[in-house]
Amino acid sequence: GPAELALLERALGLREGNKYGVQGERKVPVLQTNNGPGLIGLVTIAAYLVKQAKKGQLLGSSAEEKAVVQQWLEYRVTRVDGCSGKEDTRIILKDLNMYLEDKVYLAGNNFTLADILMYYGLHPIMADLTVQEKEKYLNVSRWFNHIQHYPGVRQNLSNVVFIKNRLYTNAH
Amino acid sequence: MGFGDLKSAAGLQVLNDFLADRSYIEGYVPSQADIAVFEAIAAPPPADLCHALRWYNHIKSYEKQKASLPGVKKALGKYGPADVEDTTGAATDSKDDDDIDLFGSDDEEESEEAKKLREERLAQYESKKSKKPAVVAKSSILLDVKPWDDETDMAKLEECVRSIQVDGLVWGSSKLVPVGYGIKKLQIQCVVEDDKVGTDMLEERITAFEDYVQSMDVAAFNKI
Repeated sequence: GPAELALLERALGLREGNKYGVQGERKVPVLQTNNGPGLIGLVTIAAYLVKQAKKGQLLGSSAEEKAVVQQWLEYRVTRVDGCSGKEDTRIILKDLNMYLEDKVYLAGNNFTLADILMYYGLHPIMADLTVQEKEKYLNVSRWFNHIQHYPGVRQNLSNVVFIKNRLYTNAH
Repeated sequence: MGFGDLKSAAGLQVLNDFLADRSYIEGYVPSQADIAVFEAIAAPPPADLCHALRWYNHIKSYEKQKASLPGVKKALGKYGPADVEDTTGAATDSKDDDDIDLFGSDDEEESEEAKKLREERLAQYESKKSKKPAVVAKSSILLDVKPWDDETDMAKLEECVRSIQVDGLVWGSSKLVPVGYGIKKLQIQCVVEDDKVGTDMLEERITAFEDYVQSMDVAAFNKI
């Protein structure tokens, strides 16, 4: 919600603190702009902030890249935010682990808003994983560790530790 | 350090393992380190070395910018896993005394990257230190962990058991052993340092997973 959008503003290098409200039971964030109707929803506001910061490339460069970014933004609000319980988490991590096997970033070779919002969304999940689970979802761990080191992204979120000497090399 | 001969399958395997949990050869941004290693590789790694291939394709996408990437190219022996002996002659983690120097403060102002590297080396040193044999009494214990019934999720049960992380305890291999009526027990090996971990404590921790574990027994206990 608003807290995450504040993090995003700083990550994008925006200095002006926008004022966010929330609406509804689900506490959907709302941004009241100067002209026009308010903007509703995390993804909508995030895309707006990216444009405000003049970092449009974070939404993807080619048509395909733009689509992939949208795909993961949608995944974040539908699957990650809607996640309840260990089984949902396991499926998300398994999907993501397979997907990231041949990619450095979610959109392939370029860092985008998809990486930022998926990182923020997954942070509480990753922070709770056991050592063995982090090794099991090796590609997710690699990607997550990479994004949390990306300048300006992590800020005051806790640093999730990934140990370098793998213990369970014979598992999975 | 170093990957061995990167033109050989063995060298590529070392590179692959190294890159399993890393996006880049050094730090978290593409640098001359990646270019140096990239240029030492003859062709794209085979598909079964998926981490090396992922890295290769990614670095290839920086081909046009390679001259402007940060850092300075070093000899190939300076990159790669720290516990592989550096055959180029500059020793790194091989001796304890050298380890102390690793996290002495650098003269230049410490970048975030350098700080992370230092913290990682510290963690490596600590873990190496704790693995040193010395004169520590250890035992190898084989535990039988029994579920409630044949419907119990044995994978989750194993996950619970392995999630018990204690200083002086290392989990080993395990297998499922049928005990009748479709029920399987988990037989799992562990090595413990006698003065840190006892079977009482293990039993207490394991049986705490009441949803899955009915009981725990010591199947075998050997001093090592």
